[in-house]
Amino acid sequence: MKTILLHLKNNPLAILGIMILFLWIFAALFGPALLSYNYTEMDMEHQMTTPGEYGHLLGTDALGRDVFARIIYGSRSILTVALMTSLVSSIVGILIGFTAGYFGSLVDTFFLRAMDILMAIPPLVLSMVVLGILGDSSFLSLTLIVSIAFTPATARVARGALLSCKGSEYVDAARIRGESHFIIMFVEILPNTIGPIIVEITARFAYSIMMIASLGFLGVGLQPPTPDWGMMVIENKSIIRAASWTVLYPSLAIASLVIAVSLFSDFVSKVMIHEK
Amino acid sequence: MNLFKRFSQRLGFMILTLVVMSFLIFLLVEIMPGDVAQTVLGQSATPESLAALRESMGLNDPLMVRYGHWAGKFIRGDLGESLYMRGIQINTIFWRKVGHSIILALTALIFYVPLSLFFGVFAGVKAGKLPDSIISFFGLATMALPEFVSGIILITLFAIKIPLLPITSIIPIGETLWENLNILILPALSITLVMFGYVSRMQRSSMLTVMNSDYIRAAILKGMPRGYVIFRHALKNALLPTITIIGMNMGWLFGGLIVVETLFGFPGLGSLTLSAIKTRDVPLLEASVLFITFIFVVSTFITDMMYLFLNPRIRFKGSDS
Repeated sequence: MKTILLHLKNNPLAILGIMILFLWIFAALFGPALLSYNYTEMDMEHQMTTPGEYGHLLGTDALGRDVFARIIYGSRSILTVALMTSLVSSIVGILIGFTAGYFGSLVDTFFLRAMDILMAIPPLVLSMVVLGILGDSSFLSLTLIVSIAFTPATARVARGALLSCKGSEYVDAARIRGESHFIIMFVEILPNTIGPIIVEITARFAYSIMMIASLGFLGVGLQPPTPDWGMMVIENKSIIRAASWTVLYPSLAIASLVIAVSLFSDFVSKVMIHEK
Repeated sequence: MNLFKRFSQRLGFMILTLVVMSFLIFLLVEIMPGDVAQTVLGQSATPESLAALRESMGLNDPLMVRYGHWAGKFIRGDLGESLYMRGIQINTIFWRKVGHSIILALTALIFYVPLSLFFGVFAGVKAGKLPDSIISFFGLATMALPEFVSGIILITLFAIKIPLLPITSIIPIGETLWENLNILILPALSITLVMFGYVSRMQRSSMLTVMNSDYIRAAILKGMPRGYVIFRHALKNALLPTITIIGMNMGWLFGGLIVVETLFGFPGLGSLTLSAIKTRDVPLLEASVLFITFIFVVSTFITDMMYLFLNPRIRFKGSDS
């Protein structure tokens, strides 16, 4: 803990990232309760109001909906889905990657080739096609599909982490004691690979935000009336000249969140490398 | 001899990937809710005409027969007929859009490859100093942004605040892309921002590795001019990993194109794919996704071969595999 604080002291960018991230988490948790507008409420008299007028902090869109309220509500869905996605894809990745790396030989070869084949389609294209075909994305389908699209990458990381520990004495000792494969993998090896896995989860969190926002932008993410940052951008793109705030502020929201998470994950990976 | 062995191995794997992916794509579209015959004939179709159409389209055949039929037509270059735009052969629109996307991708490559190599090398040489920190932060920030966010920021700056470039990249009817080259700039720059961070980071770290190696240290200690050592000795070895990274990322680039083309309304493969999904145009969707996979697999293969060829250690000994 002390070393982490020491690292933080020398890394002002990481402090900035963590502060912005906490701000967004705070906004997602308590923001909606503090707002004077609802995200679906249409202010029929004040459509496309410029920011700051008639009590609309960031203006309104073509339907008279408060942009600020929609951004604050939107932070809830993107943070939850991205967090769930990074956790689910990492857990599934660990299960698959550990099994392949631990048993080796044929299982491993099959795994590597299968992952190579799956990686031939970019995760964004894969998620877009599957979500588009299924139609009407829900919280569950979005989380599951993006997690599946990410699994080849997380499984490879987990496999690599396991291989670096597999030859250690404590693994041999456990084997001689007669522990089961399951115990050796998840009780003996897993705690020792936690560094690279945490790095992977935080990096994956940044990718997830990027991916969820892009899918929302492509119209295959969470469906209305849930306010989605990516969808706000594409919905209002046609009025960008007349009401640039309807497009620019959701974009800046995505930018601030995703850069904050990247700075945070960059910091985590530096600390983990140093710990070694 | 080893080179040939590796070549045929890779080629075989490339073909296997394409076969498996084509089957997966076919399966995926199969599970799409809704009836193709119904889509074609509309809601008012009689049960008899639906049944007749299903029979004539071969929808009643077993799965593997249909896959074989579809894949066979594909290999002969027949992409089939669009479902949404009735009576239009996919071939007549598909390749023009693919051409547009390739031009856009190449424009982006022309922008980001020299830029990121230059700044990556620069950051690597100045490691730990202020220019390095600035480049690294800028790269980290732009790399994290989805393409449409950097696109919106670019539009706000260079199309609205300073009205230099068009907001949308639509080609007017009756004109070609070549008469409207300025529509390529903002989309290509959006991709550039995202790729810059990634490639320059890779270049920086490979430059650092090379600069810390014994032979470079020896050359500098011997008293050779630093600039000469960097350009004549270090660069040659430091570029190799980055070239691989650029090639491997071609697939990613094509994924990014979907977002960029949608933002700017650019008539390319990406926006075509998205509209195929939205209109449930099965043959068009299959063709687009398979083609994106094809581009990825082929560029990975070419990169792999180039790496083999450029790296004398592998070319002569073949022990690195």
